[in-house]
Amino acid sequence: MATPTRRTELLKGTLDLLILRTLALEPRHGLAIAERIEQITRGTFVVKPGSLFPALHRLEQDGAIAGAWGESENGYRVKTYRLEPAGRRQLERETEQWKRIVLAMGQVLDAT
Amino acid sequence: MRILSRLASLLRTLFRGRRQDADLDDEVRGYLEELTRKKIGEGLDPEAARRAAWIEMGGVEPVKEEARGARVGVGVETTLRDARYAWRSLWRSPGFALATVLTLGVGIGASTAIFSVVDAMLLSPLPYRDSSRLTFVWSDMTEAGYPRAPLSGPELGDLRTRATLFEGFGAIWANSAALTGDGEPQRLRVGFVTTDFFTVLGAGAALGRTFAAEDEAKGAPPAILLSAALWQRRFGGDPGIVGRRVVVNGRPTTVIGVMPASFRLLLPTDSSVPDDLEAFLPFRRGLTESERGQQYLRVVGRLKPGVTLAQGRREIDGIAARISKEFPEYGSAGRRYDTVSLHADGVREIRPTLLALFAGVGILLLITCVNVAGLLAARAAARREEISLRIALGAGRLRLFRQCLVEGIVLALLGACVGVAVARAALLALVAARPESLSRIAAATIDGRVLAFTAGTALLWGVLLSLAPLAEVLRTATAAGLKRAGQRAQTRTRTVLVAVQVALGVVLVVGAGLVARSFVRLQGVDPGFAPDHVLSFRLGLVGARDGDPHAFNAFGRTFEKEVAALPGVTAVAAVSHLPFDHIPNWGGPYLATPGADETTAPMADYRAVTPDFFAAAGAHLVAGRAFTEADDENATPVVMVDERLARLTWPGRSAIGRRLGLDPQSNGHPSTWATVVGVVRHVRHTSLLEEVREQVYFPQRQINRNPVAYLVRTRSDPAALAAPIRGVLARLDPSLPISEVRLLDGYVTAARGAQRFTMILATAFAAVALLLACIGLYGVVAYAVAQRRREFGVRMALGALPCQVRGLVLRDGMRIAGVGLALGIPAALAASRLLRSQLFGVTPRDLASYGIAVGILAFAAVGASWFAARRATSASPLEVLRAE
Repeated sequence: MATPTRRTELLKGTLDLLILRTLALEPRHGLAIAERIEQITRGTFVVKPGSLFPALHRLEQDGAIAGAWGESENGYRVKTYRLEPAGRRQLERETEQWKRIVLAMGQVLDAT
Repeated sequence: MRILSRLASLLRTLFRGRRQDADLDDEVRGYLEELTRKKIGEGLDPEAARRAAWIEMGGVEPVKEEARGARVGVGVETTLRDARYAWRSLWRSPGFALATVLTLGVGIGASTAIFSVVDAMLLSPLPYRDSSRLTFVWSDMTEAGYPRAPLSGPELGDLRTRATLFEGFGAIWANSAALTGDGEPQRLRVGFVTTDFFTVLGAGAALGRTFAAEDEAKGAPPAILLSAALWQRRFGGDPGIVGRRVVVNGRPTTVIGVMPASFRLLLPTDSSVPDDLEAFLPFRRGLTESERGQQYLRVVGRLKPGVTLAQGRREIDGIAARISKEFPEYGSAGRRYDTVSLHADGVREIRPTLLALFAGVGILLLITCVNVAGLLAARAAARREEISLRIALGAGRLRLFRQCLVEGIVLALLGACVGVAVARAALLALVAARPESLSRIAAATIDGRVLAFTAGTALLWGVLLSLAPLAEVLRTATAAGLKRAGQRAQTRTRTVLVAVQVALGVVLVVGAGLVARSFVRLQGVDPGFAPDHVLSFRLGLVGARDGDPHAFNAFGRTFEKEVAALPGVTAVAAVSHLPFDHIPNWGGPYLATPGADETTAPMADYRAVTPDFFAAAGAHLVAGRAFTEADDENATPVVMVDERLARLTWPGRSAIGRRLGLDPQSNGHPSTWATVVGVVRHVRHTSLLEEVREQVYFPQRQINRNPVAYLVRTRSDPAALAAPIRGVLARLDPSLPISEVRLLDGYVTAARGAQRFTMILATAFAAVALLLACIGLYGVVAYAVAQRRREFGVRMALGALPCQVRGLVLRDGMRIAGVGLALGIPAALAASRLLRSQLFGVTPRDLASYGIAVGILAFAAVGASWFAARRATSASPLEVLRAE
C-alpha cells in the first residue's frame, strides 16, 4: 500500500493490457499478477481481486491466456496463467494502439 | 478461434457449472491464502494477517460473484437457475400452481382451438395453385329475387372470348348419375365440368389425369374422373383403375383419373355444389350454344398474374353491359355480374360467426388473464416477507425482476402445454360438431402457425403474469415499512380484478343468452312442413322408362303403391327437391298475363310433386285442391302455388283458376301456360331464417323429373323402413340405384347447424367465464375473511350473531359483484351489437337475455360469497382470539 494518494483509477480496457504484459515474461498466478502490476507501476495501479478475476476469466475465455492448475508449496491448488499465441498478438496490437493514444494525448495536452 | 473458445466456455458454463464454481472457489481462496502468507511475511501474526487479507479482498463471495459475471452465457445460466427456482417454488404451493396452470390452460386452449379454426377458414389460402387469383362469377338478378344466380352456356362463351385479363373460365354443375355394371347399382353425386375446370381451379389428379380438351372432341370416348372416396369405396383403391371401363348412365365410360384424397371442392355453399362430389364428368359438346335463359353454370375464373380483382371485376361488368345491348333476350333488365374472390365469397356467411366466436374467446382469454393475475397478486402478498428478506440480504432489484419474469413465463409455458392439450381435445369436438358451412375446419390442425400463436400468447402471458409480483417487488423496495397499507392496496387490486372479471362474464353470458334465445326462436320457426317421422331417399329411373311418360308414370304409381302398403306407412310421395338439400335449384320465371315482358318476369322456385306430397311432407293446403292421379300426361297442365306468389300476383283475390306462364323445361321462355288449382302454405326449403322466393308446384306425372326424392311418412320409426323399401325396389327392378336414405329431420337439423354450433360454443364460453368469475369472487371474499377473522371474533364475542357476521361478508361480495354488473351491462350492450348478424328473432338489446345474465351472475356471486362467509363464522370466537 505504498503512496495511496498517487493511486489512479484504471482506465477501461487497460487492465487487459497490463495483465498480458505481465504474463509476457513468465506464467504467474492471480496474486503474483496483481503484485507485479502494483510493483511495476510503483503503486499507481492497485488491482483488486474483484476486477482481476473477471478480467482473467474473460481473457481465458477469449483464448488469449490459458490457466493450468498446479500445487503451491503449502499444498493448496493454485491456477497459473500463461500467455497464448493469440494473447501475444493481442498484446502487440494493443501496445501499438496504446502508444499511439499516449502520443496523441501528449500532443493535445502539450499544445498551447 | 475466439468464437470457438467462447462457445467452449459457454458449454462449460451451462453443463459444468458446478465444477467451474468449485474451481473458482479454489482460485479465490488460493488468492486469499497467498495474500495472508504475504502479510505474515510482512510481520503480522497469522490471525491479524488473515483478517487484513480478508478486509483487503472484501470477502471471498463478492469476488466470486464478480468473476461469475464475466462468464460467457452467464445470463442463460442465471435464467436457468431462476427457472429451476420458479419450478421449485411452484411445487411448494401446488394448489396455487394447479389453479393457475389450469386456468391458463383453459384460456390458451380455447383461444388456440378457435384460432386454428379461424386460421383454417379465413387466413389459410384455398388449397389450389395460386388460389388468390381465383374468382367466382355470379349472375346478379336481385330484382327477380336471385341476387346470386348461375350463368348460362352462351354467357360462359362470352366471358371466354371477350375477357382479356383472365387466364380462363371453368364451369361446373352438380347433378347425379347412375353407376351400374359390376356391383350394386349406385346413384352418384357428380359434377359436370368443362374440360378446363380443374386447370382453371389449379387442382391436379392423384392418379391418371384430369380432363383435357380432347375429352370433348367429336367422337371422344366418354370419360369419368373419380374422387378418392369413391375409388376406395367402390373399386377398393385399385391402383390399375385408370383406363378401366365402368357403366355410367347406361354408357360404357373410361376412368381417366382419381382426385387426391385431400381434394375438396370449396365453392360458396349457396352455389349448390357440394364439397364432396363423388365423380366428375365432362359436359356434352355444344355447351356454349344453348339458350341464354338456361342458367345453371357455376363459373370460376382465374385472373392473369398481376391483375387485381377490381380490374377483373370491371372488365366483366363491361362485358355484361355489352351483351345486355347485343342480345334482346335480356330485355330491359339487362344482365349484371358479380365477380368475387372465391375465397372471400366462400367464407362470406361464416365469417361474422367466426369473428364473433374469436371475439368471445378473446374475452375468455382476458378473463383467465384477470383471474390468474388475481391469483398471482394473492401469492405476491403472501410472499411479501420473502421478497423483503431477499432485498435486505442484498439481492439486486434487477435480479428480482428477472426472477418474477421467469416465474411468470414458467407458469405461462406450463399453461401453454395444458393449453395445447385442451386445444387438441376442443378441436376434435369442434370438428365433430361442425356445421356444413364449416366443412373446411376438418382441415384445421394444431400446426406450426397455430403453435406460434400459442407460444406468442404464452409469452405475452408470462410478461403480464409477472406484472403483479413485479409491482410487489417495487412496493416492498420503496415502502418496506408500510406493510399494512400495502396489504390494503393489494386487496383493492384484487377486488378490482374480480369486478372486471364479473363484468367480462356479464358480456359473455349476455352473448350466450342472445345466441341461445335466437336458436330457440329458430327452432320454433314453422318451415311449412312437418319433418318428423319421414324417411327420404333419392331414386332415379334409367333406361327405356326415362323419356316415355306412360312407362315412367306406371313405374312411379306401382312403386308408390307397394311402399304405401308397407306396415306403418301413412303417405308416400315423390318430390323433385328435398328441403335444405344441396342439389341445384330448379326455378324459372312466371308470367301472370300473356304477352307481358318476359325479361322482367319475377322468378319462382319450381317443384314437381306426386299427389300425396302434401300429406307426406305435412304441408298445408290453403285453398283449392291438391293434385290427383288424374293430373297426368293426358290432362291439361295444372299447377299449385304458394301463398306468397298468390299474394304478390293477385293481392286480395283468389288465385284458383288463374293461369300462369311458366318454363318447366328451362328453355329460357315462360311459354307453358297452366291453370292454378290450389294454394299451399309457403315451404321454407333454402333458409329457415326467411322466405326466399315464390313457389310453383307441378304435377310430377306431367313433368316427369328424374331423378326424384321420395318422402315416406310413417307412424312408427322411419329408419326401420329402409330395408323393406329396398326390398320393394329389388322386387320391381333390382337395377335401380337408391341413394341418400336419410331422415327428413336430418336436413332441417343440418340447416340449423351453424346456429347450433355458435350456440354451443357461446354457452361453453359463458359457462367457463361464470366458473372463473365465481372462483375469483370466492378467492377475494375468502381472503378478506381471513384478514378480518380477528375482527369477526371480537364482534361475535361481543354478541353479534353469526348471521350478522355472514351478512357483513355477503355484503362485501355483493358490492364487488354489483360493481362488476354495473360495468358489465354497458359493455355487453356495446359488444352485443357485434353479434347482430348472429341473431334471429331477438334484438341485441333483448331484455330477457340481460335479465337472465344478471340473474345468473347475481346468484353465482351470492353463492360464492356465502361459501366464503360460512368460513368466517365456522370457528368459535374464542379460538380465533386465542390464536392471535
